Amino acid sequence: MGTIELKHITKTFGPTVKAVDNLNLTIESGHFICLLGPSGCGKTTTLRMIAGLDMPDAGEIILDGKTLFSGEKGNLVPTEKRELGLVFQSYALWPHMTVAQNVSFGLEMRNVDKSKRKKIIGDVLDLLHINQLENRYPSQLSGGQQQRVALARMLAVSPDVLLLDEPLSNLDAKLRLEMRAELKRLHETLGNTIIYVTHDQLEAMTMSTKIAVMHEGLLQQCAPPMDIYRKPGNVTVAEFVGSPPMNLFSHTGGKQDAVVESIKKCYTEQKERIDIIGVRPEDIKVVPRGTEVGEDTWYYPAEVQTLLPTGSEWIISLLVEDVMVFASVADDPEYKPKTPAAIAVKKNTVHLFDSQRQRIDFSGSR
Amino acid sequence: MNQPSSKDRTPILRIERFQNWLRFIRYEPIALVAAIVTVLLTYLVLAPVGSMLVDTVRVQIRDSATTGLEVGSYTTYFLHRVFVSRVSDRLFWTPLARTLIIASVVTLAALPFGAFLAWLTVRTDLPGKKILSSAMVIPYMLPSWTFAVAWLNIMKNRRLGGLPSIAESFGFSPPDWLAYGAFPIIVCQALHLFPFAYLLFGNALRSVDSQMEDSARILGAQKGVIARRIILPLLKPALLSAFLLTFSRVLGSFGTPYILGSPVRYLLLPTALYSSFQVGTPGVSAVIASVTILLGMSLIALDMYFVREYRRFVTVGGKGSMSRLSALGKWKWPAIIFAGLAFIITTIIPLVTIILTSIMYRPGVFSLSNFTLDFWFGRYISIMPGQQGLFLNQSIIAAAWNSFRIAGAAAVICGITGLFVGYVVVKMPNSKTSAFLRQVSFLPYLVPSIGFAAACLSFFAVRRGPVPSLYGTLTLLIIVMSIKYLPFASRSGISAMMQMGNEPEEAARVAGASWGKRMSRIVIPIQKHALITAIMLPFISGMKEQSLVIMLATPGTEVMTTQILRFIEYGFSQLANATVLAIVVIIFFVTFLMERITGSNLASGFSRS
Repeated sequence: MGTIELKHITKTFGPTVKAVDNLNLTIESGHFICLLGPSGCGKTTTLRMIAGLDMPDAGEIILDGKTLFSGEKGNLVPTEKRELGLVFQSYALWPHMTVAQNVSFGLEMRNVDKSKRKKIIGDVLDLLHINQLENRYPSQLSGGQQQRVALARMLAVSPDVLLLDEPLSNLDAKLRLEMRAELKRLHETLGNTIIYVTHDQLEAMTMSTKIAVMHEGLLQQCAPPMDIYRKPGNVTVAEFVGSPPMNLFSHTGGKQDAVVESIKKCYTEQKERIDIIGVRPEDIKVVPRGTEVGEDTWYYPAEVQTLLPTGSEWIISLLVEDVMVFASVADDPEYKPKTPAAIAVKKNTVHLFDSQRQRIDFSGSR
Repeated sequence: MNQPSSKDRTPILRIERFQNWLRFIRYEPIALVAAIVTVLLTYLVLAPVGSMLVDTVRVQIRDSATTGLEVGSYTTYFLHRVFVSRVSDRLFWTPLARTLIIASVVTLAALPFGAFLAWLTVRTDLPGKKILSSAMVIPYMLPSWTFAVAWLNIMKNRRLGGLPSIAESFGFSPPDWLAYGAFPIIVCQALHLFPFAYLLFGNALRSVDSQMEDSARILGAQKGVIARRIILPLLKPALLSAFLLTFSRVLGSFGTPYILGSPVRYLLLPTALYSSFQVGTPGVSAVIASVTILLGMSLIALDMYFVREYRRFVTVGGKGSMSRLSALGKWKWPAIIFAGLAFIITTIIPLVTIILTSIMYRPGVFSLSNFTLDFWFGRYISIMPGQQGLFLNQSIIAAAWNSFRIAGAAAVICGITGLFVGYVVVKMPNSKTSAFLRQVSFLPYLVPSIGFAAACLSFFAVRRGPVPSLYGTLTLLIIVMSIKYLPFASRSGISAMMQMGNEPEEAARVAGASWGKRMSRIVIPIQKHALITAIMLPFISGMKEQSLVIMLATPGTEVMTTQILRFIEYGFSQLANATVLAIVVIIFFVTFLMERITGSNLASGFSRS
């Protein structure tokens, strides 16, 4: 239970703005899927359309084989009958109700009798470790507690599909980490389908079983987190996932072209297709000028700009021709700013994209 | 989610979007009702004004006798009469010129004092400024014509006859220029509007973050430079806005010029309009009312322009906004005296004279035998045959009952409609309905009360289709008042709904609640306080409204404020004062009640209503 199919979903705001463009996505039962993308990419709109709060202009939404919305037949099931759960970014707790009343509301709407309600409320509050807050009002709760109540309110009706709209973005860093673990634990315990909207790639990477990257209303790629990271399907995904972001070289007609040509030389197969080249910061080794490298490694001279310690690692910014490149290294670097150095990159870690910004995969070279 | 999209994607058809909208509506009944409200508002706001504009060039029944023209025919006779004929000076140009001059003088007098007092309470270490800033709301809550009534109590002379004034009892007979006409009108209006300017400025000044001054100081700017180059430019839009709003208030107020101007036939635009209406020349009234509306609208439009300018400056959020206080030093005592005097003159003196007048046979004679409660409780008043004290007086009781019914009904209509407008606007953001509703519900704000009343009179006086003639009915007063106060109610409705946002209701929707359940269990309980405020504020305004009702009240629909004018005309000043006091007490009581229920403070909320 809890399989959602989105077919050709399109949604425009105003005459020209396409929030979501021909989205096709199937979310299998029991998955924890993250809709990931920068603000304005259509991810929240997608979530709201699944919930029925926004109406698509065209397409179909199907839940467990039952059509909820169809562009031809109209909105078949209104929000209040879809029996989903939705946690808002702002939590949207009802300020005039206590925690228990907030949690009880959905059960009342489903005509659950009083004694049973009481038991479910107790269980859900226990599950989220907030049973001592039962009689408090939302204004008396901290952000993290409100977050838990918002979750409890939706979990009480045990929906097959739980929708979460950037639920952790209003929490501080430590609480966010705690809630991430908590959400993952809940998902593993309850096993329902979770659709989670976020612009935070770390959240998406750590929690989800699958990530759907969206950009400008278009679905870019949908795959398990490590696949998204290791094999980004196109330049947009490659740019968005990873911190510091992937270093990119492309033909601009300037000094950069020399870098691109230098990499191209390493490849024989489909060489002419290569247009954009990406290298993850952790795949870059900073080496002294003139270091001898093996056949499997690409070498290029660079100049160290600045060193940025993050605690667990160092981020070194380098100038490669006129491109700013970031490398991340674990060991303390022995370079000073403004000194010459070089970068060395294992060829099989380089990401190659064609002029359509799509990934080029080589059968043997990785 | 706004996102530019590339061109090569398929366009969405208009029809498709419309069909989707219909689907949407099935589960959002509110949208349908919103359409109905939109039509109704358009009819009630635009039609009267339009009909009045037509009346400026069309002959009506009452005019056909005097002009010899056929009823319903078109003529430039009225325009000619008002603007260029021999009587045009008396009818229009002199009142217009006086109004503009008086409005300018009043504004120039009220603004500097208000601004100075605002600076004292916001930016200095003046002792007791908390008390002062709440005390200064009181004179603002008093009806605008309170001062005029108090002025007559003190200064009227033998020209008006009747009982002597306080000054006369002390052996001083005020000359006409001091008792009536331009001078007292200016003083009374300025005293009434000075707290208004104070509140406007105080709010503007509070919004200026002193970190901006600090930044200038760190960069080496002297105090004078900071005031000239940082503070003044930031306050300039607020300053202009205060000027225009004060000006338009003077332009639209009826009570004060009527009470103080009539004894010497000193007419301003609103009283000229009323007088032409009383003489029974609807065409001429329509022309003068149109001019009043046009003037009022342009002032408010200008103000809205400046407010928008001002918004451009609002860059900082609430966080870290703080004001640094200047030490008054040796100026402390003069400042305290100034602030104290401001309060005494604008609040204590008028209220005390009104109280005293209502309990003395001869004003200003302080002997024990002269004091009486007859004007409150007397079954028989020796000096006013045929009249009873306030609590037994049939005409006052009838007027009070009318006031309550009219203001109450209008307030409830306003409050509910306002919240409803807010609901639709928030619910359907970016939609045409919401934008239109927002604008139409704001329209009445642009039209000066007395002009709007004239327009409604011209529109509703005759039977139109299924709508019978409403002249002389309470219904007309209720309709007119509801429309006039709708802008404030809908503005507060919109802001309350904005604050709540869509999400609490959407959360209930996801939880499975139907529209009715969502309204009764989520939206209305959350908006309880906002609703109370949205009802009580128009109620208070309605209780003290004069400009709007003076044209519409007839012997059967007399309200308290018009009854006061009648008493003044008959020379029953004690009864007039007692009635004023009754209104003031009601206003204070309702305000107090509202503050208690909602736990809000009116000092900020009142500033523009």
